[in-house]
Amino acid sequence: MNTTRREVLMFAGGSAVGVLFTPAPWRLITDSALWSENWPGIPAPGHGEIRTRYTNCSLCTAGCAVRARCVGDQPVQLSGVSGHPLTHGALCPFGLAGHHLPYLPSRVKQGPAKEAADAVANGIAKCGAGECVATLDLQPARTASWTYRRAMAALKNGRYVAPSGDSSVAVDLSQARTVLSFGVPVLDGWGTPGNVNTARGGFRLIQIEAVESRTATMADQWLRIRPGSEDALAQALAGTAPIATAADATGLATSEIVALIAQLEHDGPTLVLGSSRLASSGRTVIARREAPVPAEWQKAAPVTALASLPDRSVRVLLIDESAQGEYLPWHTIEKKLVSDNPVIVAFAWSREGYARHANFVLPVGVYPEVAGDIPSAIDSVAATFRIAAPLVSPPADMVKPEQFVAAAAGLATGDTLRERADAIHKAARGSLFTYADAKSQALKDVTADAFWKALNAGACWIDAPDDKAPVAQLAAAGTESRPAEQADLPLAVVVSRELTPGSPILSKLYQESNLRLAPNRVALNPACGLEDGAQAVFETLLGKCHVGVTLDAGVPAGVVQVSGSPAVLDLCAAGVRAKVVRV
Amino acid sequence: MTSANKQIRAARYGMTIDVDRCNGCGACMVACSVENNVPPAHEGATDRKGLTWIRVYKVDNGEEYPNRRTAFVPVMCQHCGNETPCVHVCPQQAVDVDPSTGVVGEMPQRCLGCRYCMAACPYHARYFNWWDPAWPAGMEKTLNPGVTPRMRGVVEKCNLCHGRWHAAKERAAAEGKPDTEPVDYLPACAEACPTGAIHFGDLNDSASAAAKEAAEPESFRLLEKLNTQPKIYYRSKKEWVREIAAAPRPGTGKENTRG
Amino acid sequence: MTLRRSISFLAGLAMALGAGWVAFPRVIYRSRPQPVNFSHKIHAEKAGAKCEDCHSFRDDGTFAGIPTLDKCAGCHAAPMGTTAAEKSFIDEYVTPNREPQWSAYAGQPENVSFSHAAHVKRAQMTCESCHGNTGSSDTLRPYQVDRISGYSHDIWKTPNMPHGMKMADCVACHRQKGLEHSCLDCHK
Repeated sequence: MNTTRREVLMFAGGSAVGVLFTPAPWRLITDSALWSENWPGIPAPGHGEIRTRYTNCSLCTAGCAVRARCVGDQPVQLSGVSGHPLTHGALCPFGLAGHHLPYLPSRVKQGPAKEAADAVANGIAKCGAGECVATLDLQPARTASWTYRRAMAALKNGRYVAPSGDSSVAVDLSQARTVLSFGVPVLDGWGTPGNVNTARGGFRLIQIEAVESRTATMADQWLRIRPGSEDALAQALAGTAPIATAADATGLATSEIVALIAQLEHDGPTLVLGSSRLASSGRTVIARREAPVPAEWQKAAPVTALASLPDRSVRVLLIDESAQGEYLPWHTIEKKLVSDNPVIVAFAWSREGYARHANFVLPVGVYPEVAGDIPSAIDSVAATFRIAAPLVSPPADMVKPEQFVAAAAGLATGDTLRERADAIHKAARGSLFTYADAKSQALKDVTADAFWKALNAGACWIDAPDDKAPVAQLAAAGTESRPAEQADLPLAVVVSRELTPGSPILSKLYQESNLRLAPNRVALNPACGLEDGAQAVFETLLGKCHVGVTLDAGVPAGVVQVSGSPAVLDLCAAGVRAKVVRV
Repeated sequence: MTSANKQIRAARYGMTIDVDRCNGCGACMVACSVENNVPPAHEGATDRKGLTWIRVYKVDNGEEYPNRRTAFVPVMCQHCGNETPCVHVCPQQAVDVDPSTGVVGEMPQRCLGCRYCMAACPYHARYFNWWDPAWPAGMEKTLNPGVTPRMRGVVEKCNLCHGRWHAAKERAAAEGKPDTEPVDYLPACAEACPTGAIHFGDLNDSASAAAKEAAEPESFRLLEKLNTQPKIYYRSKKEWVREIAAAPRPGTGKENTRG
Repeated sequence: MTLRRSISFLAGLAMALGAGWVAFPRVIYRSRPQPVNFSHKIHAEKAGAKCEDCHSFRDDGTFAGIPTLDKCAGCHAAPMGTTAAEKSFIDEYVTPNREPQWSAYAGQPENVSFSHAAHVKRAQMTCESCHGNTGSSDTLRPYQVDRISGYSHDIWKTPNMPHGMKMADCVACHRQKGLEHSCLDCHK
């Protein structure tokens, strides 16, 4: 007997009817729904014991105290430590995502340490007359900075270079009744945010700026001047130039400048930020003694400002970019290098900065992987010592810049942080604030070992107040001159820095909202004729690069505001002009 | 859901946000994203397609310098208390109002992605996952286990940090406190704000700072005329800011309608 | 219809019913044994251990769940009995300091926030009311996981887990006790 097609169909029909009376199809539907809810592409958070650890944020000199909520040992969330006498529990957007930094795609993972050491040794040997070996420290006044200074002193022609020379002055905001800021982001990233917010009620802030920055919107008074005319205004305020000249240069009315002069006279003491033409009054700026240093370290090279290095004199340049500091445009550094094959070694954790210009890029750990101390903030009246205690381990093969430079100079070093802590402990002054229990005690009541242990578990040493500290003045970075008119470069450039590179979560501020200017974008007045988000080329006399355009009514016509991307900053110089052309 | 429920002292969790103190730093936005596992932007994301459970808008009075005044207004889900629009329209019942806390809770796991709630929300406080979440390699280790990551195709929004609320409830249970009492906790944005502009508390508890401030004359809510009875109060001494609060959408300047 | 066709139909029907009721439940689950043949019974009797001695609460109220190696190694640094299972445990896990990869029978999906503190400390529920007789078993039964959804077999009502752990099972009890406020009570 042959099986007919109809029988096969009947069999299939029976199976179909039967299967509906079994749990199978209903269960398969449920399972598919459950599978779709646990979509394999979605990462699952790790689970484990929740622990709390403490450290200090080393992304800037504010060094805010950090409480890290960790799953096991992995930080999953950072917040401030309320009750901290300086940082008052504040943490900025960059610090709040600091635990993402180890996973940045632009991370430098490996580098030719041996070849770099050999090249540096050769360069040192080849140094001729008038040539030098320089270590450029982008965040000076750390303990590592002392090692660099000692290493450079051990070399015959070593120079320790910092962006702007030696500066051990501090600003006392509590003494100021008026703060006159020439474009300094007082309320948005200057000093210690927690300290500035706490002191805010005690002073009147006058912001002098070409664009409407966040500080300008929050200031008590915003005076909009033409870019580059800060110096002219400062001279008028200091009485060394006529008011009419300043009015002409800035675009302000004469009456406004007169009113400003009256304010500064009657509502002092005045703190002046961003211009050294005008002196701060009262005790708003004082000289601050540094945290004690071991006596053996005094044999150290002096701090040289980059600008005062002779041009074409540096044969070997070691750039420590491991600690976030100001990005100096490459042309300001390049002109100090000898023209024939200088050796440039950059210690960097990201490929976006000086790694683009160096011969050798050596990978370093990043916050919160590495221990380093944080220099005292500019608005900290007393010196501080705090260590960014590591929360996670750095990857393998990271270079320690301090050890590399010391080895290159033949300087023997030990655990410099411990030595510094012991020297501070020996001086027996000041207080120790520990984060876990939010308690403060005098340093002399703590043993050296307990001090070291506390510093590594999250603490801050604060120097004793020094009532006899002499009054001082702030040195401004460089006086900007009014950009000369140029027909083919019609826009005056204003730089507003953001901390880059940062966590990709900062896209919330740059890309998924219009809150901040993204590092790879420029801001123009809406009347510029370009659309928001347009791709364009930003060009100055120094070169060009691709940027995106953001429209911002706070930027006046004739001005282009750029953010902190190193690629863009490389094209900017004091008084530079630019053009932005749609692609 | 409430017919046979035990008697609880119902809380109405809310906030007061001092617009005069907000300096637009964005710390609240970052802290919120870290706490709630909100992924970084996809390449194609713009401010219309992004995921910003809390978003700080820059608003101005429309004048030119020197009469131009600018302020920053953080906006998150307003947790409407009266005829909550998104709850009304959801075909999936993927969002509900918790009678014990007043929190409007979104369940992305139940959402089917129709986005009707996004159209219904007068505050534009709901966000759609246009793409699967993606973190750079290794960054998934930093995810918060207290909040589930969402997949693409669902809507999400502020839940007043329910992950922290769960942790606070668990601590209260471990300490032997009765479950009829609301718990004390702080959402990520309120904790992170460096200027102290955001105050969180139980609006039903007259002793809490949030309740006291909400009752003051400087406090107002967004789009009061719609009578949604939101639980987020804003405070400002500036009249032009109060006028903005009645406007359909915070923010001036050309809308980016290209998405 | 002819007899042959009826027989074909019934044959199909019978095959489908058999496949659906007998074969399918076996095939849908993948089974794997636990890494160590641990006996709850021996530990309860000989060591005098109660559930919370190993499955403990931390100070912040969170539940530690299945104990980590350090809890076991606290007693089993050296063999305490004579079983082969204990010896292989010490050789494979304690000595090389390797964490056993236990499979949690009661594992809930990622979007569920379950608080042991609320159920054990507040509601005074016994471990057995949800976890069945696992605590008094002599061996650890194999872990059965649904091949498609990845959920443990014990989520559905089984002879070992008469209560079941799906959302409907939790809601039934919560509804009875008047504790049904909102979805976010249990979801995260």
